[in-house]
Amino acid sequence: MSDGLNISAPADVLLDVNDLVVHFPAGRRGMFGPPSKVHAVDGVSFRVRRGTTFGIVGESGSGKSTTAQAVMRLIPMTSGQIVFGGENIADFRGERLRLARSKFQIVFQDPFSALDPRRRAGDLIREPLDLLGIGSPREREVRVKQLLEEVGLPPQAADLFPHQFSGGQRQRLCIARAMAPEPDLIVCDEAVSALDVAIQAQILNLLKKLQRERGLTYIFISHDLGVIQHFCDEIAVMYLGRIVEQAPAQVFFSAPLHPYSWSLISAAAPPGPLRDRLKKDYLVKGDPPSPVDPPPGCRFAQRCPFVVERCRDELPILQVEAEEHFIACHRTGEIAPPDFASL
Amino acid sequence: MTTIESTAIKPDKTALPVSAAASPTMAALRQFARSPAGVVGAVVLLFLMLATLFGPSIYGVDPLDIAGAPFTPPDADTWLGTDYLGRDILAGLLQGGRATLTVGGVAAIITIVIGVTIGSLAGFFGGPIDTALTKITEFFQILPPLLFAMVLVTLFGQTLTTVTIAIGVVSWPSAARLTRAEFLRLRNLDFVKASRAAGAGNGHLILLVVLPNALPPIIVSATLAIGVAILFEGGLSFLGLGDPNTMSWGLMLGQNRNYVLNAWWTVAFPGAAIFIAVLAISLIGDGVNDAINPRLRKRG
Amino acid sequence: MPPVLSVKDLSVSMNGTKGMVPVLEHLSFDVAQGKTMALVGESGCGKSMTALAIMQLLPEDFRVTSGSILLDGVEVLSASPKELRSLRGDKMSMIFQEPMTALNPLYTVGDQIGEVLRQHRGLSRRDAHAQAIQFLKAVQIPAADKRVDAYPHQLSGGMRQRVMIAMALACKPKLLIADEPTTALDVTVQAQIFDLLSELQDDTDTAIVLITHDLGAVAELADDVAVLYAGRCIEQGTAHEVIARARHPYTRGLMACVPHLQLGRMSNHASAELDEIPGMVPPLGARGPDCAFLPRCAFAGAICRAQPQPPLDRIDAGAAVSCWRHQEITP
Repeated sequence: MSDGLNISAPADVLLDVNDLVVHFPAGRRGMFGPPSKVHAVDGVSFRVRRGTTFGIVGESGSGKSTTAQAVMRLIPMTSGQIVFGGENIADFRGERLRLARSKFQIVFQDPFSALDPRRRAGDLIREPLDLLGIGSPREREVRVKQLLEEVGLPPQAADLFPHQFSGGQRQRLCIARAMAPEPDLIVCDEAVSALDVAIQAQILNLLKKLQRERGLTYIFISHDLGVIQHFCDEIAVMYLGRIVEQAPAQVFFSAPLHPYSWSLISAAAPPGPLRDRLKKDYLVKGDPPSPVDPPPGCRFAQRCPFVVERCRDELPILQVEAEEHFIACHRTGEIAPPDFASL
Repeated sequence: MTTIESTAIKPDKTALPVSAAASPTMAALRQFARSPAGVVGAVVLLFLMLATLFGPSIYGVDPLDIAGAPFTPPDADTWLGTDYLGRDILAGLLQGGRATLTVGGVAAIITIVIGVTIGSLAGFFGGPIDTALTKITEFFQILPPLLFAMVLVTLFGQTLTTVTIAIGVVSWPSAARLTRAEFLRLRNLDFVKASRAAGAGNGHLILLVVLPNALPPIIVSATLAIGVAILFEGGLSFLGLGDPNTMSWGLMLGQNRNYVLNAWWTVAFPGAAIFIAVLAISLIGDGVNDAINPRLRKRG
Repeated sequence: MPPVLSVKDLSVSMNGTKGMVPVLEHLSFDVAQGKTMALVGESGCGKSMTALAIMQLLPEDFRVTSGSILLDGVEVLSASPKELRSLRGDKMSMIFQEPMTALNPLYTVGDQIGEVLRQHRGLSRRDAHAQAIQFLKAVQIPAADKRVDAYPHQLSGGMRQRVMIAMALACKPKLLIADEPTTALDVTVQAQIFDLLSELQDDTDTAIVLITHDLGAVAELADDVAVLYAGRCIEQGTAHEVIARARHPYTRGLMACVPHLQLGRMSNHASAELDEIPGMVPPLGARGPDCAFLPRCAFAGAICRAQPQPPLDRIDAGAAVSCWRHQEITP
């Protein structure tokens, strides 16, 4: 594998993930059985354009957070390529990886566990600068104050400890810290899910503002379709470790094609007759199954209301359906999508 | 749906605490000062340390000199009596405390240094490193500590240094297991990942991110390790395996143990000294535990 | 018919280091048989404390300082511990946000449901087990006769919450308190649980107090709603009225700051900025007599600064609001 592998990618593609696989060992079946594996991420490919927001939506066990953390090189990946800014960072090791990290940063879901409780806010924001050797100590101090201001916190916040901040303020600190080394890409891993709705709106607006001002690229992970629609340019739906549908936001919310997308949408639709009808026709029953040793065939087959024999045997591949609209379903075209326009 | 005039992004300056509060370390110290057990323990231990540090020169009696007839009961001249050779017991206690407390402290440091190093490497890296280090830990843990320490002292000579090292070498496994468990818990927390994402290498993560957060229970166990080491030294000396050339409380116990029925003071006072020292240290351990265990702390 | 639950002028305080700090102030509401009352607000607004006060399960440092809670005509606040034990689980029960920690990991779900029945109904072990299977079927757990012997960790989150609901409804209580029952669940599972709750309510006529931060859930499930802010009820009324014509700036802000899913049209989502409520809920102990929402309110006027927070003002049969300027600002 060489760095120049993805010459075919258009120039505005910042991140090109190719067939990413992350498996975890999960013990054995019985004492002498074969070792089980959690197929957390099972062959995921997508591209993210510079300056846009790529949304990944899915339920627990879908592998959306694992994908994000594997792309960040925070957890070991089984195979695949992660071409970031023209280089395959999946091959990076040791010091080279450490220094490359300045260009991709992450904001976690829980602002209470994402900040070291024993260190002051200013030190936490300065940490990436110290570690990556960015600027002189004096410049770093100035930069910390600047960053605090950018995320809407007063300069004296630098002297406080994480426990003295509210949840929303802590998430602002996490954002300031992620911004510190001036990254090109920030992954927001359920970054607003733990916040109260009023605070969630503040943080979303802040992220939008920073994107406008600095041309940031986001990968935005969420289970909340409303937030995803509001925030993302392109949307990928994940189910049990695989992308089942991917499309630009407008296309996705006007003409989704995958039965699982329909189910998600019916669960998130605003209350009213449309929602009642969508839920009746498309909301699936039960919970997502476990990603340990998934059966062959379509991962969604167990819960899909439109399942046929073929779905249980043969794994559908993500294919281009229309321009920039990808879908992994054997029955595309055979089943009628929900009609949103009639209301 | 009604709309409210959209407000520009206002800085979130509401309700930020005015003053920079003390660090968690300071907060824990303040909490410790509020725990009666901890304070009593600290005062007693401080008294013992000062007494052994300055006591001998103030009292001015050489603990190895013959101060009177053997087995003189406590009286006006020899306040705590004399032992089987006629040496002054109080002088012995003051002088011997230095060795005993030093052995306790240094052995505890050895215990913690070995235990924390092995435990943190095992817990942080996991995988084969963890398996190998855990096996080594278990090997040391299944050896009966007192017997193992006796073997070491017999092999390498009955000096204070050997005794101290032997105690440290036999007691580190529990510290290693504790540290490993803490590291296993902490290494997957978001703030550790966040530090890695910020460009931290393994050394930085272990020493500056995970270890400080793993310290509270380690500090408690270190405190208790001092007490255990003092008892250990007492035990070894009692069995005649202490350093015969350095006065210590354990040695006094060991040398006088045959006369306990005729001259109770020769054994009772060194025994009481060990008892008080160990009790004070466990009280401190309790106080430290209360101070750094936030679940027991009352809501502010 | 008298209401199943009648809360009058309920106040709860926390005994902190700086003395008694009000957590909940003068809350009043009624829930009739078969109806659902939603308590809505951000974290720290006192909605969970209300639930715990009704169940008399307040944490150590919290005290009810005034008011009355009548459950089916019985004063809960003056009930003896023994009376409370027979009320809980029998006449009122509660489901929690996190079904994993609310179930005992050492017992099968059948044992846990059966335990409630044996305690309150005196059923034999065998009968309780048979009943437990019936209840699991009622909450739509597939293969109920097998799952009855499963341990909580063997079930998915959605199934655990179904088990919690089965346990809570085992004795056909008059009142069910659901504290954020779906927050920890996946979105498709949330929708199923809401459907299940409303079906079961239709069957059993249970009164429900639903605690939530999600106005969507209110629109779907609730008949009435009380919006809490910093421990005070600032708007109350029928769910339909409050959602269609929110009068308090906070309620309106809450609705405006949630991005609503828009389907079918080519929305210009990317350019839009969410309406936000600046700042945050004042922490405990920092709440004065004036309107608690004042520092965050875009409509605050001179009267709001000059006067203490107004009492809930009944506007018409459908709604009451605590705001000096509600008439001026309601469009």
